[in-house]
Amino acid sequence: MSLFYYTFIPIVIAFIAYFLNKKIKLSLAILNSVVFAYLFYQISRLYNQWNIPHETISYYMFDREIQLIFQLTPLSWLFIFMTTGAGLLIAIFTIKSQQEYVLRSSFHLNFAILIGSILGVVLAGDFLTLFIFWEIMTWSSFFLISSGEKKAAQKASYRYIILSTIGAYLMVTALFIIYNQIHTFGYNQVAAHLSGLPITESIILIIMLAIPFIIKAGVFPFHVWVNGAHSNAPKEFSPFLSGLMLKVGIYGVILLLYFVPLYNILKESVNYRGLPIFNYILAIFGCITVITGTILAIRQEDVKRLVAFSSISQMGYIIMALAISTPLGFTGGLLHLMNHMIFKTTIFLSIAAVIYRTKTTKMSEMGGLIFKMPVTFTAYLIAIIALAGIPPTNGFISKWVIYQALIDKGYIFLSVAAFFGSIGSFMYVFKPLSTIFLGQLKPEHENIKEVPFLMQLPMFVLMALILLFGILPGLQMNLINQISQLLNIQPVGFTLYSITGAFGKWNSLVIFSLFVGGFLLAFIIFISAKKSKQVGLMDTYTSGEYMDDPEAYHYAYQYFRPFDRVFDSFAARSLTVIYDTFAQNIVKLGNLFRKSIVTGNGQTYAFYMVLFIVILAFAGWII
Amino acid sequence: MILNIFGFLLMAFSAMALGLLFIGIARKVVARVQKRIGPPFYQAYLDVFKLFTKNSITHGFIFDFGAIMAFGGMITTLFFVPVGPFVLYGMNGTLLLVIYLMAVAYLGMAMATVGSGNPLASVGISRALTQMLGYELPFIVVLLTLIYSSNTSSIIGIVQTQQSGFMNWNLINIPIGTAIAFVTLLGLMGKKPFDAPIAPSEIASGPVVEHGGKYLAFIMLQHAVSVVVKTALFVDLFLGGGNNIFIFIVKMLIVWLLVTLIGSIFPRFKVEEGVLFYWRWPLIAALLQAVIIIF
Repeated sequence: MSLFYYTFIPIVIAFIAYFLNKKIKLSLAILNSVVFAYLFYQISRLYNQWNIPHETISYYMFDREIQLIFQLTPLSWLFIFMTTGAGLLIAIFTIKSQQEYVLRSSFHLNFAILIGSILGVVLAGDFLTLFIFWEIMTWSSFFLISSGEKKAAQKASYRYIILSTIGAYLMVTALFIIYNQIHTFGYNQVAAHLSGLPITESIILIIMLAIPFIIKAGVFPFHVWVNGAHSNAPKEFSPFLSGLMLKVGIYGVILLLYFVPLYNILKESVNYRGLPIFNYILAIFGCITVITGTILAIRQEDVKRLVAFSSISQMGYIIMALAISTPLGFTGGLLHLMNHMIFKTTIFLSIAAVIYRTKTTKMSEMGGLIFKMPVTFTAYLIAIIALAGIPPTNGFISKWVIYQALIDKGYIFLSVAAFFGSIGSFMYVFKPLSTIFLGQLKPEHENIKEVPFLMQLPMFVLMALILLFGILPGLQMNLINQISQLLNIQPVGFTLYSITGAFGKWNSLVIFSLFVGGFLLAFIIFISAKKSKQVGLMDTYTSGEYMDDPEAYHYAYQYFRPFDRVFDSFAARSLTVIYDTFAQNIVKLGNLFRKSIVTGNGQTYAFYMVLFIVILAFAGWII
Repeated sequence: MILNIFGFLLMAFSAMALGLLFIGIARKVVARVQKRIGPPFYQAYLDVFKLFTKNSITHGFIFDFGAIMAFGGMITTLFFVPVGPFVLYGMNGTLLLVIYLMAVAYLGMAMATVGSGNPLASVGISRALTQMLGYELPFIVVLLTLIYSSNTSSIIGIVQTQQSGFMNWNLINIPIGTAIAFVTLLGLMGKKPFDAPIAPSEIASGPVVEHGGKYLAFIMLQHAVSVVVKTALFVDLFLGGGNNIFIFIVKMLIVWLLVTLIGSIFPRFKVEEGVLFYWRWPLIAALLQAVIIIF
């Protein structure tokens, strides 16, 4: 199948199905699942066929030939595989979960277009193709975010589209400047041209090209759109937004730094400890992203906002690892990218399942759901173990590689930030676990049932992946080393279940077998002791008080208040406020300008006319 | 294979026994500091055996699972910390792993206690996690410095760099780091002044408020193993490890007694005060040390 069809099929099917959906309910969700499953199957067959030739599609616009170029590399294969995989799982999830959602037709229309456009971005063979699909992606995701059920969704999507537009303008300006000089958009030609330019000029162009990607990746100081968009988007779209949309930004960063080897140009600029200053600044931004994301995640009372901030902080890791540009850093960044996609999608899907049943996102309005929704709970539990980076899950392995890369170079402050984020993540992932799933069950949730099987299925698949990659990281390393070869990065040594770091080797099989041993021993001691009697959750030690209201007996609101107290002033001075003040000041300035010129007085306008003629006269036009 | 399983069981049970002995000694020492006679040193064994025979209540399957997870996670951690010459699984790159493996035990315990539905337990867990963010940061900085200066992240490797005499110990090489690690050890073990998570007079012992019978016995066993793991880790990293198991246990006992003595004379920090304390002097000193060693 031609590469072009991968982007074309979802977009066309989306429109067909949109009109079909008016007639038959749910046809769109099922059709989407089938199409994504077909694409997923085709893409998995593409593995190892890296010698597929470039494809060029020409068309004419205003008498000019415009070419769309597509190519397949291991790097783009990784992304199209992840995109269709996540799209498939989420489409299956939505079959049941969106039965009562009003905007579901447009949701699926935009979702399929989004998938198609992401495939286009990743398969693109030059900057123009990339830019076209990039814009389609931005707009379809904008419509998806704004179709959230809350009022705040509109504001959040405005913030998203404004930031994206700024990025797009910068990118298109840079591209046209370059095109004006060399008349091509090809990756290699642009890179060759940039390396010939004076260093300041080429760095400015690189920054202009990089900013749209950094905005999409949600890295400080452009992370302000992430929390609003994630928390207000439809509950089925948040997993995709966090799991994949942010990663497409990362793809752009990889593309610029490694694939179009702009790193070589940057190397000639100022260096700090053997690292170009641009990379170092990017790493520091990553480090600030980790810290801000963590501190703000711990404070949230809305579960989707909490997970959104955690996404911000995890993206900081990936950026940090990619920016330090060592083989280990690159490997760690890509590993974490895949693993974050898997576990963050799981977390958001389990949260979506909870919202589907309880119809709320406030953590203090839930509690004790573990006995009602055990599968959802298990999915959430395994995913947070991975997110907190606890073995034997995939999250630990990628974090371990990143730490090795950071210590290897002696970047002590970056490592402190990484560890802060990691230990802070124990705090923020435990908060929903404790307040939603554990604790006292609310009386109004007495009749809640587990979600339907079609919603459980994606969670089961993702859980299995978390454990699989936690035990056999070699499966991922195989692909990553192929990408490394493509990008001329020295590969990292690995076997099926071990990875070689800078200061030693990681062997997940030993860990896993010891885990089994430890748990077996504990289990045997446990069951050999006397059997215990089961009592209710209200039957606890209360210092002699009589308690009859489970709602009052559930510790959920402001879970980490002592910690939040430390950072109250920090959180009040958030970047969003600064941006908002900036926007307000621009509006004020505009108003001032308008009031002083557009006075509403006829004489003023007459004065303008006279002034205009006088100026013309002085310019020598009339006389 | 059989030998491996035998070694596994031997090491697990001897660590439990050693840890319980340490706990018994600590109770005696604390009693003497407070001018009491105190229980006999073998009281902890009696307690565990008694608790296993008692009737107990559970609050659902997560309560059971959490107890198993806490204990199993701690046992797993044990095998990555060399105790004297006994190294059952000499895997490289284990120092960072140990920190995260301990988190399995904490997570299990936290789930079990919050699963009991008692808000006092939740308050305790929230405090414990907050405090963890406090003490782990300086500790991690010291560990990173250690990894960088020894050029290995395996604990066995770090022990080997300190062989051949007292002057090669990291206690001498990295004195500030050792002091900081000791202060963080107080927090890691939940000793005063960092015992806000279990504060008996405020939140009824916090996490263990609902545990009785075999569950309390499990918590005690887990605590015993964790004492062994943490003191052994400290001895391995800073006091040169040990070729002889007896010398090693004596070193562990010295560390444990110091921790107990210091822990029995201080009043308690408020939660955020404890965190800020760690982020102020220990963290700054640790970073300073790291900068000196790395640059």
